[in-house]
Amino acid sequence: MSEFAKSLDVTASGLKAQAQRLRHLSENIANADTPGFRRKTISFQTEFTAGKGTGRVETGRVRLDQSDLKQVYDPTHPMADKTGHYDGSNVNLVIEIADAREAQRSYEANLKMFEQARQMSSGLMDLLRR
Amino acid sequence: MFENLDIFRMSHAMARHAGSRQALIAQNMANADTPGYAARDLQPFQAYLETNTADFYPKATRAGHLQGAGANHSHDPRIRHEGQADPNGNSVSIETEMVKAVEVKRQHDRALSIYKHALTVLRSAVSSR
Repeated sequence: MSEFAKSLDVTASGLKAQAQRLRHLSENIANADTPGFRRKTISFQTEFTAGKGTGRVETGRVRLDQSDLKQVYDPTHPMADKTGHYDGSNVNLVIEIADAREAQRSYEANLKMFEQARQMSSGLMDLLRR
Repeated sequence: MFENLDIFRMSHAMARHAGSRQALIAQNMANADTPGYAARDLQPFQAYLETNTADFYPKATRAGHLQGAGANHSHDPRIRHEGQADPNGNSVSIETEMVKAVEVKRQHDRALSIYKHALTVLRSAVSSR
């Protein structure tokens, strides 16, 4: 595979991974008020094919954040216990938004690299033109 | 000039170097959020040229390589930056990679224009006009 094809491939994997991250983030944000919801986190890892690092990035397993759920006081809530509390979600919107910003930034950087690899390879193709 | 077309070989090597460096930068960028990933880079073309003055063709740099003009173990293209890393061990800085990407793009464009121009010179030498 040529270097340009390889870099397009690697960049596309980066785009995909960031998009997946954004998907889980929006899931978390959408469920910020769901009782008992634990926020989902995914990790990034370098892909290995036949024991050899390809440089592509992929997302690892989805894990649930095991930190304590927020206790919400609402005696009228159907799920409230004797003390009037029920388990909220452990989603922190500030963290999610900050993470989403980071994902966006990385996504844009990958997009720029994709565009550049494309330009460089089309410059190479232009050599064939008279 | 016309006996030995060094300029083509040189611009070829330059464009090729830019291409491989670009691939590494793209890889760094894609792994900008991977925990424990160390940024990789090639040495600049200038330094690469100084260590490989003999020719610009692939060489056998390891025992497992099939052919090539002898081993040259001193030249390892991948340099790992030992700069400051993030708490998760990732040492990629998107800003640095962006600057390097622009540098590489310019190097590639330069190499291609040199190639194109040399081709024009050759063409005008052989054309009947």
